[in-house]
Amino acid sequence: MFWSKTRKALRARGVMGINQRNGDYILRYNKRSLYPLVDDKLQTKKMALDAGIRVPELYGAIATEQGISTLHRVVETHRDFVIKPAQGAGGDGIMVIADRFEDYFRSASGRIVTTEELEHHISGIISGIYSLGGHRDQALIEYRVRSTELFNRISFEGVPDIRIIVLQGYPVAAMLRLPTRQSQGKANLHQGAIGVGLDLSSGVTLGGTWHNQKIERHPDTANAVAGLTVPDWEECLELAARCYDLTGLGYLGVDLVMDREFGPMMLELNARPGLNIQIAMDDGLLRRCRVVEDHLDSLGDIRRPASERIAFSKKHFAVAGPVPVSEPAPAVTP
Amino acid sequence: MGSVKLQARILAVFLLLLGGGSIAYQLLVQKVPLTQDEKDPVWVVDAQVSFTARANKPIKVRMFVPPQGAGYTTLNESFISNNYGVNVNVEKGNRQVTWSARRAEGNQYLYYRLMLTPRFAQTRENEPGPQFRPAPVLDGAEKLAAEALLQPIRQHSADVETFIGETIKRVNELENDNVQLLLGGDVSPENRAQVVDLLLAMSHIPAQPVHTLRLVESQEQQPELWLRTYNGKRWLYFNPLDGQQGLPEDRLVWWSGNESLLNLEGGRSANMTLSVHRNEMSALQLARSLRLQDASSFIDFSLYELPLPSQQLFRILMMIPVGVVLVLLIRSLVGMETLGTFTPVLIALAFRETQVIWGVLLFTFITAIGLSVRSYLEHLKLQLLSRLSIVLTFVVILMAVISLLGYKLGVSSGLSVALFPMVILTMVIERVSIVWEERGGTQSLKVALGTLVAAVLCHLLMVWQPLVYFVFTFPGVLLCLMAVMVLMGHYRGYRLTELMRFRAMVER
Repeated sequence: MFWSKTRKALRARGVMGINQRNGDYILRYNKRSLYPLVDDKLQTKKMALDAGIRVPELYGAIATEQGISTLHRVVETHRDFVIKPAQGAGGDGIMVIADRFEDYFRSASGRIVTTEELEHHISGIISGIYSLGGHRDQALIEYRVRSTELFNRISFEGVPDIRIIVLQGYPVAAMLRLPTRQSQGKANLHQGAIGVGLDLSSGVTLGGTWHNQKIERHPDTANAVAGLTVPDWEECLELAARCYDLTGLGYLGVDLVMDREFGPMMLELNARPGLNIQIAMDDGLLRRCRVVEDHLDSLGDIRRPASERIAFSKKHFAVAGPVPVSEPAPAVTP
Repeated sequence: MGSVKLQARILAVFLLLLGGGSIAYQLLVQKVPLTQDEKDPVWVVDAQVSFTARANKPIKVRMFVPPQGAGYTTLNESFISNNYGVNVNVEKGNRQVTWSARRAEGNQYLYYRLMLTPRFAQTRENEPGPQFRPAPVLDGAEKLAAEALLQPIRQHSADVETFIGETIKRVNELENDNVQLLLGGDVSPENRAQVVDLLLAMSHIPAQPVHTLRLVESQEQQPELWLRTYNGKRWLYFNPLDGQQGLPEDRLVWWSGNESLLNLEGGRSANMTLSVHRNEMSALQLARSLRLQDASSFIDFSLYELPLPSQQLFRILMMIPVGVVLVLLIRSLVGMETLGTFTPVLIALAFRETQVIWGVLLFTFITAIGLSVRSYLEHLKLQLLSRLSIVLTFVVILMAVISLLGYKLGVSSGLSVALFPMVILTMVIERVSIVWEERGGTQSLKVALGTLVAAVLCHLLMVWQPLVYFVFTFPGVLLCLMAVMVLMGHYRGYRLTELMRFRAMVER
């Protein structure tokens, strides 16, 4: 009895389940052959650079055990950098070096790291510990993103990122992911980070979710998470919408970071984005996806430019405003 | 997308119908037993004929035996005698055995044994009989009495069926003068049947006496007399004593006609006893023994045709899809996480050899030890490949030690680790440690536990004997399972764990 009631309530809210996501969205919109584009961050980065999408600068990539010895040359000119596996999943295997201390490095959490430890970490990445399926991998060494002051109030160490779900080029949902003490500076929800829903029309933060629960304050800083405005929101939406044109993946999770100096940057793409964003937004993904799908059906085969798609999403997925389901395509000029 | 869904649904329905149809065919037409321990009654009819031979005279004993394929399957039929020739002939639907000998002296005994079973039987024979016969010529008092009796019978009946019933009722009113006259003082069932027959003949209704045997446990019984008539579609049976219509299920038609059961030439003081016993036989055994005589048994074109070792193998193989469906349901409906996709099925297969309790203990113990070694090796900062190799070698050593200890202490034969479970266990440890590396300790414990639970459930299902028998005997089940798999491929509902996960969204 309890189950069927929950089931009905979830369906009424348009909540998307894993089976539905896999069958009706990932299987339908994401061609398997396009997966390597997003599973390998090196490829994603190159593609984004060609298309003029801003990404953290790549200092170097190490693909072989012999290459590990070149590490010191790669990082010579940089005080801080990030080492990550090219095919990692869920934020695992990422090591953030924030500073140097004589011959040692200092991680973002303040721990002293020796060169040997760094090399061992890279060797682990290359042998495929963190890659999907345990294949051999490459270690990427890139620019360390420094978070804006705004987010420092509601995050603990690490860099918050923005996850935007894009369906056929239309942003349908967005959340801010804030690291906590438990997530050890990582912005992945299953590791204990917080997800905070974003109003698609304005970039204003809504309520949050932590371990599938709804929360109002950050557990480490005790600051309220709601009511903040993400800067350069328009640019974030545009980056996300363009990632669809870039990859051709119809159901895409775009991860953006907000750098203190350079503004929004595309960090990585995900062909199987998680579903917890629904709890953060307190709204069902299925409901929103249906709105876009209905709109696309009414359009036929015509593809709209990114600016028009963003206008549609901002209009229909504004939290304050109503969301009419069947309405003719709005003729908004960018 | 919609058309694809429809196509999948049609495919599923098609598979379901095909599988269900084949099961229904096996059950209803081939009468394949539903469960392994289904028992069937086997009736053993024994007839003993005894007589005294006349000296220097050829002997010929004729006895009716039941016709074959009349509602029952003959398992075995034997004629036992000393120095007699045996011959069976069929005449007008009756079977008769003839024992013959040139010379014999003293008391003679002949035996007849018939074993019958209701399973795998054809429906009762339906050869048409006559529907008309000329009326016999009667005269005098008999004619008057008969007509006097027929008058009310005709009035009280609507068709042949009720006419016969009414006739029997009248003839059994023994105080009736007309009846008394026709019976002529002889009230034996045979004579009553004859009078009924006479009255029916006057109305041109053909009737035939049949002698039946009751299939109940009994030491001595006499064949029971029934009357039957053909109404154009089927035979109608009537009890001439009380007008009861329809032959009860437990009656076996022995022979029809007015001749007596036993006919003896060249002997005297013939005596015959009939006894019936009930035995039980497992339906499967029955099918096997029937197969020796009857090629149309269900065993043809079934897996029972295979040589025994292959049969044993297929008993295991055929259960794999069952386990696979269970894992599919556990993953898509419940949402429990398991290692790999069908690793639980493989572990369940390994449990066959280690037994489930030992299997679970071994699995837990060795995985735990393997993982702690792994975490120590991580501390040493060894590379992934050498780390995994060391873990696997350690697991093999551990298994050897456990087996040796178990053997020395005589603990249990369950501890002896076969090759197959060992390979699977090693593979599981490798996978768990990869999950540990990638997703952390809690996640790997969760996944390992989920795998273990799923494996135990699979194992219990896959060794459940009634199910094993069912799947092995009715391979159509696999098509039905395939239909389930096709449908699950388009299942878009929530998983049970998701209801927990998104609970926050419905709480107000």
